[in-house]
Amino acid sequence: MADFLLELSKNPQARKLVQTLGLPLPMPEPLQRPRGPRGDRPLADRAVTLRTAESTLTPHVADALARAGASVTAVGTAAALDGLGDVGEAFGRRPIRTDLEALGGSKARVLVFDASDFAAIDDLDRLWEFFNPLLGGLARCGRIVVVGRPADQAPTAAAAAARNALDGFVRSLAKEVGKRGAGANLLIVEDGAEDRVAGPLRFLASERAAYVSGQPLRVSARAKAAPAAPETRPLDGKTAVVTGAARGIGRATARALADEGAHVICLDRPEDASAVAQLARELRGSPLAVDLLAPDAIDAITAAARERGGIDVIVHNAGITRDKTLLRMKREAWDLCLDVNLTAVAAITAALSDAKLLRANARVVCLSSIGGIAGNMGQTNYAAAKAGIIGLVRSLAPQLAKRGVTINAVAPGFIETRMTAAMPAGVREVARRLNNLGQGGLPVDVAEAVAFLALPSSDGVTGQVLRVCGGALVGA
Amino acid sequence: MPVSTSDRPSRRAVIVAGARTPFVKAFGDFLALDSIALGGHAARALLERTQLARTEIDAVVWGGVILPTMAPNLAREIALDLKLPETVEGMTCTRACASGLQAITLAAAAIERGEADVIVAGGSDSTSNAQIALPQKLVHALAPVAFGKATPADMLGVLAQLMPLNEVLPKMPRIAERTTGEVMGESAERMAARNSIAREDQDALAARSHHRAAAAIASGRFDREVAAVETGKDRRVYADGLVRADTSVEKLAKLKPVFARNGTLTAGNSSPLTDGAAAVLIMEESKARALGYTPLAAIRSWAYVGVDPADQLLIGPALSIPLALERAGLALGDVGLVDIHEAFAAQVLSVTKMLASAAFARDRLGRAEAVGEVDEARLNVHGGSIALGHPFGATGARMVTTMAHELHERDQQFAVLGICAAGGLGASAVLERV
Repeated sequence: MADFLLELSKNPQARKLVQTLGLPLPMPEPLQRPRGPRGDRPLADRAVTLRTAESTLTPHVADALARAGASVTAVGTAAALDGLGDVGEAFGRRPIRTDLEALGGSKARVLVFDASDFAAIDDLDRLWEFFNPLLGGLARCGRIVVVGRPADQAPTAAAAAARNALDGFVRSLAKEVGKRGAGANLLIVEDGAEDRVAGPLRFLASERAAYVSGQPLRVSARAKAAPAAPETRPLDGKTAVVTGAARGIGRATARALADEGAHVICLDRPEDASAVAQLARELRGSPLAVDLLAPDAIDAITAAARERGGIDVIVHNAGITRDKTLLRMKREAWDLCLDVNLTAVAAITAALSDAKLLRANARVVCLSSIGGIAGNMGQTNYAAAKAGIIGLVRSLAPQLAKRGVTINAVAPGFIETRMTAAMPAGVREVARRLNNLGQGGLPVDVAEAVAFLALPSSDGVTGQVLRVCGGALVGA
Repeated sequence: MPVSTSDRPSRRAVIVAGARTPFVKAFGDFLALDSIALGGHAARALLERTQLARTEIDAVVWGGVILPTMAPNLAREIALDLKLPETVEGMTCTRACASGLQAITLAAAAIERGEADVIVAGGSDSTSNAQIALPQKLVHALAPVAFGKATPADMLGVLAQLMPLNEVLPKMPRIAERTTGEVMGESAERMAARNSIAREDQDALAARSHHRAAAAIASGRFDREVAAVETGKDRRVYADGLVRADTSVEKLAKLKPVFARNGTLTAGNSSPLTDGAAAVLIMEESKARALGYTPLAAIRSWAYVGVDPADQLLIGPALSIPLALERAGLALGDVGLVDIHEAFAAQVLSVTKMLASAAFARDRLGRAEAVGEVDEARLNVHGGSIALGHPFGATGARMVTTMAHELHERDQQFAVLGICAAGGLGASAVLERV
């Protein structure tokens, strides 16, 4: 079922009419999504206003923006601006250094606030001083990224307060700008991980993160750094496995990974063999028809991985729901849901790891769910499994880090798929609106997040849960 | 990029001589001469001045950008027009504004590989004779009429397909990038802004280009290189037509920007559309000496690079110059002459600024130190394309000839050339005095 309100709001006349008449209808802003695979300069010529900090992180942030092609206007103290040095010069992208007064209410596609120098509660005033005049000039579907340091590593209580305040600030800001299709997110960069900020920043500042909003994402140097890879076709020569690739999010993910150059092994149940074969042919990958619950499933997957000399990316996407209140839930429904959504993920990951079939700097991405974070009526089985995924990811991350392997979870919110199309119309209509952007996401939004975590440049992100939920109103 | 100095070829290609037509404004004195005719004039002048026996020539290699559709292999047409022996084969190459240099390095490579001993290489372009293409829609619609017998119904069908009429009218040709749709001046305008190149500096470079070119003409320095062209009965063009000895920074400052409202690029600090041709005689060194010639220079190295045309279209020479120098085993400081094609003053200044930038060396070349400053005294010593004009395919051959002579004039050992080209290309060569 298409989203009627979203379709309506794409029509400028209808949009105007609804707004003029003051109808109590939400008019969600149609999101701008990326066209085609990644390129060298995703932010080419985009106006980016950057608040610089007096910290070692600012030059890395500015450098990442310059390399991404952005036209950066930098504001901040004289010392912070001096700290930029010759960043961007080699690309003809030296940030224009100015101050907030001279900037007035100028327009920008992206606002980046480096808060890495926050040490005291008073420092929070800088947020108001920056965003209050500039927010009005933020483009529709603009992006906001706040960069901070982890509160749990703060030297003083006051610093921890200031650092943690960013979390509440960004979540609220995301709700405020969501009406315009814009998103705001927080990048928490640990000490020593400064040189890993570029990949996550590129993602969050671009339309590839269109449906990611109000989220904190932590960047650490925990996993061994990945060798440098090109920005265009970064997955060239790599092999990826996507489970549940026949349709929906899995299909979009397989496509996204193939677009970035990966050879994708498209895995789904034997019942969907023809759909998977067709997709694999289209993506120049290979099909693998396996039932994850079959006794030989793991052998089949490890054999396929061995044939390719190991794998670089595995996306545990296959999932099912068997909704019932716990009181009325049959044992089979409980078992099946946990077996597919959690047990199989743990077993496959362990088997690949034990057989040394996860290559160095491999990427493991597990699909969790907003249900696993917030809980959902009638989904005790599903939510238990999806929350279990988060536990799995957090526990495995340090174990895999030595070889540069990262493992993360992606937790989709309301995504327009076959699963949500089957919901009762009233519930679906309400569910769509319960986020900052007032609309459901598309499978491609989740695929973009998965592809981001699969990149070599995401070596700073491990053990994290990235929600693709438009800033859902439920869940922490 | 492979850099090898250990396996220098045993055969060495040398530049024996060069000759060119005067460079004149497009739609001017050379209106009746197309690229082939212009190329013929330059090549004929070269052969006359060197008194080369035509039987010694193995091949003609020619560069061109606006190629005539009916006879795109300029090289062979020139050879046939000049009545060179039928055995003189010909090939034409195109690499946008670096086409002339490309022809010369192709010739050098062929000689060093032993494919030939004597090659006439060069390039020519006639913007005045650019063909205006018919839209594909019209061409396809007319196909049944042009091929086979058209029935009245076919004719009606053709008419029906021609609507709406504006889609089948020929389009005004423009020098726009195919991938970005941006006119080259717009790209250069953005480069000026991004690299903070001031209008005054651009105008100063343009004025210097004119003054130096005018001085070279007045002193007779170009007489060895430029040969008069007869354009009609009692009508001869002797000298370059675009150089303005009387221009000044003040005069140039009065011109309005042409590519952006608040821009810095003007007709005065950009190269003009030009008609012209240039030819260079290249031989295997021992062959040249056996024929009694004294070679001017050898081509020590060359390099071609690509950059993203959507980013900084004309920054290529900032990458190709260091690469060519590296292949030659030289540093910028070892080179006494630097000749950079002046598509736009803003582009030359962007390139020299990046050569002097430590950040550029670090981030784009992976080097610890900047390539180096290019001081005005050794840069474009006789002016460049802004003053002399820029017949696309001819420019590379003009630069090679001027620099080959200049190595002797100034008693220098090395010269480096840098040319930017459409498509985001950069081209360079290092010349060594022989």
